[in-house]
Amino acid sequence: MSAGDYIQFVLAPQVFTGLMFGIAVILVALGLTIIFGLLDVINMAHGEFYALGAFIALVLASIGFPFWLLLAVVPLLMMPVGYAVERLLIQRVFHSKDRHITTLLLTLGLSIVMEDSLRLVFGANPYRPDMPIHGAIQFLGIYLPTYRLFLIVFGAVAIGFVAFVVYRTRLGAMVRAAAFDRHMAASLGIPVERIFGGAFAFGVALAGLAGVLLAPIYSVFPTMGHDFLLLAFTVVIVGGMGSIAGVVVAGLFLTQVQAIASLYISPVWTDPIVFGIMVIMLMVRPQGLFGRLGHA
Amino acid sequence: MHDTLSTAMRASHRLAGAFAVGALAFAAIGYADGDSFYLRLATEALIFAGLALSVDILLGYTGLLSLGQALYFGLGAYVSALVLKEMPSFWAALAAALVTGLVTGCIGGVIANRVRGVYFALITFGMAQVIAKVIYNTPSLGASDGLIGVPVIDIHLGLITVSTASPAGFFLLVLAFLLLIYAMLAYLLETPFGRMLIALRANEQRVAFLGFSTVKLRFGCYVIAAAIASVCGALYPMLRGFVAPELLFFSTSADAVIAVVIGGVGTLTGAIYGSMLIVMLKSVIGSWTEHHLIVIGILFMAVVVVLPQGIIGLARERLMRRFQPKGLS
Amino acid sequence: MQIKTVLLASAIVIMGAGASFAQSPIKIGVDTPLSGTYAGIGQQVRWGYELAVKEINAKGGILGRKIDLIFEDGQANPTVAVQKAEKLFQVDKVDFLAGTVSSSATVAVGQTAERANKLMATSVSFADSITGSKCSPNVFRVNARAGQQSAALAAWLAKEHPKAKVFYLGPDYLMGRSTVAAFQTNAKKVGATNLGEVFAPLGAKDYTQYFGQIRAAHPQVLYTSVAGNDTVRLFTQMEEFGLLKGLTVLGASGTVTSQNIGAIGKAANGFTTGVGYSTEIDTPENKAFVKAFQAANKHDPDLYGADSYGLIYAYKAAVEKAKSTDADKVRAALSGLTWATPQGDKTIRAGDHQAIQTMYVVQITDGKFKIISHVDGKDAIGPDTCTRF
Repeated sequence: MSAGDYIQFVLAPQVFTGLMFGIAVILVALGLTIIFGLLDVINMAHGEFYALGAFIALVLASIGFPFWLLLAVVPLLMMPVGYAVERLLIQRVFHSKDRHITTLLLTLGLSIVMEDSLRLVFGANPYRPDMPIHGAIQFLGIYLPTYRLFLIVFGAVAIGFVAFVVYRTRLGAMVRAAAFDRHMAASLGIPVERIFGGAFAFGVALAGLAGVLLAPIYSVFPTMGHDFLLLAFTVVIVGGMGSIAGVVVAGLFLTQVQAIASLYISPVWTDPIVFGIMVIMLMVRPQGLFGRLGHA
Repeated sequence: MHDTLSTAMRASHRLAGAFAVGALAFAAIGYADGDSFYLRLATEALIFAGLALSVDILLGYTGLLSLGQALYFGLGAYVSALVLKEMPSFWAALAAALVTGLVTGCIGGVIANRVRGVYFALITFGMAQVIAKVIYNTPSLGASDGLIGVPVIDIHLGLITVSTASPAGFFLLVLAFLLLIYAMLAYLLETPFGRMLIALRANEQRVAFLGFSTVKLRFGCYVIAAAIASVCGALYPMLRGFVAPELLFFSTSADAVIAVVIGGVGTLTGAIYGSMLIVMLKSVIGSWTEHHLIVIGILFMAVVVVLPQGIIGLARERLMRRFQPKGLS
Repeated sequence: MQIKTVLLASAIVIMGAGASFAQSPIKIGVDTPLSGTYAGIGQQVRWGYELAVKEINAKGGILGRKIDLIFEDGQANPTVAVQKAEKLFQVDKVDFLAGTVSSSATVAVGQTAERANKLMATSVSFADSITGSKCSPNVFRVNARAGQQSAALAAWLAKEHPKAKVFYLGPDYLMGRSTVAAFQTNAKKVGATNLGEVFAPLGAKDYTQYFGQIRAAHPQVLYTSVAGNDTVRLFTQMEEFGLLKGLTVLGASGTVTSQNIGAIGKAANGFTTGVGYSTEIDTPENKAFVKAFQAANKHDPDLYGADSYGLIYAYKAAVEKAKSTDADKVRAALSGLTWATPQGDKTIRAGDHQAIQTMYVVQITDGKFKIISHVDGKDAIGPDTCTRF
């Protein structure tokens, strides 16, 4: 294969795919990092919220909701679910000494229940909602499906929106203050408990949004939450728990590493490589590339 | 020493003793009935209880949550199967598994012990996933089919010989084995090393200030836990005659963690009772509905939220109140 | 005196009434995944067995004895499947065991059956090793194995696309690789060119990273051994990227099944595979079977349902021939047995306990598995590689 052919047929599409996949992972990991950065909670059930978003979209679509409406409605529906989980379950164990471990265990149990419940309601077989945008464009000989382009654009906008809210609005300032010093923020009149609930709800809504967006490409089935779990956690750790910039940078970097690595090494090794990067990061610089939300 | 820990451990020992008595009665009934299935199911539960003990050592005594302990269990099982297929010697299989556990535990310990808390949990999770995948794709280890053909062997214990095919005999052997491990761990906790492990969980910084190396302590504990998991894993192919990559999967690790939490973190006996409870629940609920995971998941969450000391933890507290000499505050 | 007569008479009446289904039922244990990822397959297996048992019991059972099906959830995890198999053998004391789906479960449960001196059969697992390198005297298989599927498909390929240029894509684990390897061997024999192969991790989400390589190779034919959710993703992504235009897609029989064809949608059209069953088989037996199956379950049968249905009838024939449910006698009766199924007559080869049957080449058209060709049983079966008995 000539160099030109190689770039056109293999390298460029790979980079494009890595980019799209990176945006998807960032959307999922964003919620995870906000939840950890603010609440110090490792949400092992994050993948299941991603799956829940996709399934809710499926149900609503079957009663006639158009796709564009789903992008707004599903996250809105997920927010009360997330808020309830935080207030009713996580808050119960939040003040114990082993908080990190107990919340991890609690969300682990939640993920088991959620996954089996999805299987109970929907069955084990896969579903696939229709592609909302068909067709593709050819750019310099590279084949780019339109929906994936849309995903990249929409994902980037969503990420930008989250960053804007967190760093440029009063609400975001309250969130960051609560993350930095909970007690001080509370004594300044910030409703810290409600902020926590809201932040968890927001993180979960982001996961659900990712579920809606990715469903036409990756299909919908009860164990789909496992797809992204390890990679999302790695992105959050490498980027720095709580850092939005970290998630974006780490997400793009790691997915490109995966995409390029799978060209030169057997694709089965991409998981160990990504995992290895996580281990090295933890050993060398445990706070990740960018550190924590309150301290960004 | 009459501190709370000693009292707590005495309570644990009483409960362990109760368990032993119950198990012996069960074995006697089963033997008289000529039963095979329930004895072997209970034996399997005991083997996995060993894995749960290994998780409890880490979680209950150093505060480290390992989400990948099934790695060592599965490796021990595979090594045991490979050895048994070559030579039908119980002791050789156990020795090989022990060495495997120690060596891989050291390697894993070096990787995982740089970090604590949730990072530690994630690294242990990742290690188990990676190795499980490697085994899943290795044809010489049976790949996704696993290895069958592990023969039934005779175990020579001096005066008696137990065959792994004998339901009651092998059950009693595994019971004795597990209780021996429990006894060793309980003894360990009375030693200075063991006391420091518990101090680690209580307040790690203070241990460091007192001049002890926390890294060495955690590493030592991790290797011990890995060895225990491996050695218990070695018993699995003797019981079932095969091994499969599923023994290393996350679901196996998660089951052990669930058993420890429901039983009671840090009680040692809780791990054993918890494992038996989980096996029974799965069996019973599994025959009514396919969705037994929902029930177990909800029970697990309920224990984490409402009963953090676990079932045995609760029982211990009741017992301990009886031990406290009256008149002392 | 009178009371004694009355008592005696009533005793005789009671015994007589019981005698119509007098003897104890024949128990068949079904150790199949009712939960987890393979639950869809387990459901078809269950429907197949239940329909056959219902029909047989309505006609008086086997040797006058009713059949009782006892279900246990094997969860497609061999450690659980073995546990449940032991329960079925020791506690429920079943005479025969069936229903395992994954080949790891079949192989492990087969060993359990051997140690319990009972027989078992699979109607789903298609790994060649089950009746090949890992064969067992107590394990039987009534469905077609990978080698048979490959042979049928390769024969069709030779006719329709002689000297085709083929690219291979499969999931990176034992079954995925061996299925691809088996077809590569068969395809080479009929003159096809191997352009290359790529193996994706099992459960990969995004196959687009391999499309570059596929495109660069310019294949006419793509052979794939993915299954379940992986197929949904691969096919829909190929369609998304315009890769399906002008490409003939072939695959294993497990690649597109009734469990995932709904999700794949029109991206599945044109997919061709070698398989042991299709609802389109045009025989009166099959039409009756499909009608009865649809009436009972509101779903079409697929190969798992049909093969499971056929298994019960094979057991019935064997027990009647052996006039007993004793394992050794039934084993002898099953070896070499020929019996009627909705797919035509099948024969169980005595040398390896593998069923020989007509293999069909089906192509998906509008969501239906249309038969476009077939190969005789003896041509598809391949050699007997079992050396244990």
